[in-house]
Amino acid sequence: MKPLTLQDLAVLAAQPSPAAAAFIRVQLDTGGIAAGAEETLAAFRDALAAANLAIPVQRVGSHGRSWADPVVEISAAGLPPILYGSVKTEVVPQIVAAHLQSRRLIDDHVIADARGAAAINAPVTHLLVRDTGAGEGKTEFFQFSFAEELKRRGFAEQVQTVRALDLGVYDEGVAVTLLPSGVTYTNVLAPDVARIVEQSVGARQVLDDLLWKKADPQVRIVLRNCGTVDPEELQDYLHRAQGYQGLRAALAKTPEQVIEEMKASGLRGRGGAGFPTWLKWNNTRIQKAEPRYIICNGDEGDPGAFMDRSVLESDPHSVLEGLMIGGYAIGAAVGYFYIRAEYPKAVERVERAIVQAREAGLLGTNILGTGFSFDAKIRLGAGAFVCGEETALIASIEGKRGSPSPRPPYPSVRGLWGQPTAINNVETLANIPAILQRGGAWYAGYGTETSKGTKVFAVTGKVKYAQLVEVPMGTTLRTIVFDVCGGVLEDKDIKAVQTGGPSGGVIPDKHLDTPIAYETLQQLGSIMGSGGMIVMDTTDSMVDVAKFFLKFCVDESCGKCAPCRIGGYQMLQVLDRISRGRGNAEDIAALRRICQAMQKASLCGLGQTAPNPVLSTLRYFDDEYKAYLEGGPSYARKMARAAAGGAEPARAAAPATATAD
Amino acid sequence: MNPSAHHPGAGTDPAPESWKNDEAALLSMLEDIERKHGYIPHQIGDEISRLLEVKLDRLKRAQAKLETGIRRDVQQHVARWRGEEGNLIMILHAIQNQYGHVPREVAMELARELGVKLARIYEVITFYHYFKLQPPGKHNVTVCNGTACYLKGAAGLLGELRAQLGVGEGQTTPDREFHVDVVRCIGCCGMSPAIVCDGKTHGRVKPTDIAPILAGIRAQAKATEVKS
Repeated sequence: MKPLTLQDLAVLAAQPSPAAAAFIRVQLDTGGIAAGAEETLAAFRDALAAANLAIPVQRVGSHGRSWADPVVEISAAGLPPILYGSVKTEVVPQIVAAHLQSRRLIDDHVIADARGAAAINAPVTHLLVRDTGAGEGKTEFFQFSFAEELKRRGFAEQVQTVRALDLGVYDEGVAVTLLPSGVTYTNVLAPDVARIVEQSVGARQVLDDLLWKKADPQVRIVLRNCGTVDPEELQDYLHRAQGYQGLRAALAKTPEQVIEEMKASGLRGRGGAGFPTWLKWNNTRIQKAEPRYIICNGDEGDPGAFMDRSVLESDPHSVLEGLMIGGYAIGAAVGYFYIRAEYPKAVERVERAIVQAREAGLLGTNILGTGFSFDAKIRLGAGAFVCGEETALIASIEGKRGSPSPRPPYPSVRGLWGQPTAINNVETLANIPAILQRGGAWYAGYGTETSKGTKVFAVTGKVKYAQLVEVPMGTTLRTIVFDVCGGVLEDKDIKAVQTGGPSGGVIPDKHLDTPIAYETLQQLGSIMGSGGMIVMDTTDSMVDVAKFFLKFCVDESCGKCAPCRIGGYQMLQVLDRISRGRGNAEDIAALRRICQAMQKASLCGLGQTAPNPVLSTLRYFDDEYKAYLEGGPSYARKMARAAAGGAEPARAAAPATATAD
Repeated sequence: MNPSAHHPGAGTDPAPESWKNDEAALLSMLEDIERKHGYIPHQIGDEISRLLEVKLDRLKRAQAKLETGIRRDVQQHVARWRGEEGNLIMILHAIQNQYGHVPREVAMELARELGVKLARIYEVITFYHYFKLQPPGKHNVTVCNGTACYLKGAAGLLGELRAQLGVGEGQTTPDREFHVDVVRCIGCCGMSPAIVCDGKTHGRVKPTDIAPILAGIRAQAKATEVKS
């Protein structure tokens, strides 16, 4: 294949391929595949062949709605693109028959984003109905009422009423979305049914009192291509997603100008610590030693975080492009992807991306005829959490045990094989092509004074719709949990949100209205971290949660320095004692003392931050600790039973041997 | 009487486990002969030592074949990564992908091939959770214990697995059929709690689902056995 040139890219930038009129996009990432997306894809191919329909079936990455896997997006038969969730193989023939052959949607699978639309410009074709209130029991009644009303007014032929799976609004009573415009009404009551049908369906007027006007809190920059491009096809990325245009923009500047652009964007490291990216690059660039290296940190070890996996699987080329731009800026000729071996799909897709980029002349010598030479390699992690720490990661790439070493010297001075090295997180790198394309000032337009841009969070735990969320910095936690993810599972009360994984802390209910930024989360005793966000309801014991995270850190401690190795173990002993109801009055003070020693004296981030979950639960939920201390073993047993029963009612029926040990 | 007199070279080689049974059988046979004849005829003694030599020769050839197999594999893996600095972990990944774990003989061969100390290789293997020194079970059941899965009842799943299989975290059933493991996070938090059985992920698993899942694995194993 002929190597690409700058002219080729310029042509692509000016004339991107028009979006296909009809397509079926099956979202195949690890989560989707686990839920059966590959079978769904095959079922679509079979059903289309059987029905003699020639609609291209595309493989894409995940859009982020992992609760609805497998997710399929369909644009066909003159309908706007429709997102279907929970598309198991048995649903496929129904969709093909209804959507593709008779322009009808099927019940309980359609996902819509109720955002922004305020005018009805085309005849209404479908009404999506869903009761978003507690219990969600009125959906069928309203579907019936709308269908009856439409029949009465003679619209039954043109307009179909569909039960939706999700409308993107929560706790707003009955919601109705009108297709194709996307106008959404919320808190619809029985008397409104006739009004909506008469005025909106009949006369295309928008009912202002019912209209949902809130804009989408999400802004997709990192996830811009996730779920729309084929992650295994470079051509798709080039033709439809402005692929490698960021690289073209970067190569037109000097490396110093690229760093200036990054400075203007205000982008800070998305791995958790929030070090300014431009400064890291600049510190590496000003070193005299050659060669220099750049590393993409894809060792996403935080339990409950999966945004790096999702980005690597759904849009590997944008991360590679970011790595290349970084390499150009710091003057590196080799870049490494360090990816967890537990993410085989991500590894496979990045490997493929590198091969394709090499074939197209985007990697190698004299890239795009500009004289810039760069190559990328993959190194696999091997299941050590500490390897997410940059000095340990470097040791691991060098083929050694992943033991951290004291800083300074920082990797930007002495990194991989003693050479200047810049290490950037997956999400940081995925931002970079967009920043180069659209300018640092554009990016800095999002976010707060000190934290610019957007941040991706993986919201999981006791939340209704676990998914990836990308919001501008400064959005509140409450917005994320309640407006984007639908609130707490089973409509229980929220107790706290845990951010930052094992190095982070819990943020209690009363602080959920804090705007998210690196500094504000730190003030609350947590950290931004890589973006795992775990929702906990009132049945979760905070002592237990602290123990869970501490146990993780103790298991993962590499054992090199004593504060982490011994301190962590001692704390775990104390916590274990407390959680069995056998703690004594001095235990809390002892915990605080050990925490302080670990924070001050540990060698690397793992040990310094391991006390965070304990400290933050002590700070906000010390009454729970006290309850264990005062209640004694009987209280502890009661709590343990409640946790086992609360989490799994079926547990009681299990044989007694299961609980004996 | 020393039985190894019939077995030239047996004193230098470490005897394999099965040899102990063979040794006992041989001894009892010789005792029978002695009881019958009052002494051991030299023809019988010669015949036994001839047979043992043949057997030993065969064993040695099989051993050499195995060793060349290992050597060839290791050389292949090393050749793939030669010239790359810090290649040890990537080679270990390749070895584990092939064998399912890192066998001691392979690690020794790798040390020879790379010219590094065996201790250095073990230093790396034992540091990383991903590398295993023991062969996995025939079927692997992995319970995700990421935070999301933990909150939604991963402990209950582990308890149910223990009730069903009698083994817990990191253990293999005595018949080597099932190996139960716990991992940090498989990144499928959207469908927590999740378990992975032989590479297939099951999401939103309840303890009551465990028995049918295990039965499914057993039935499938049986079906493939019958087929082959």
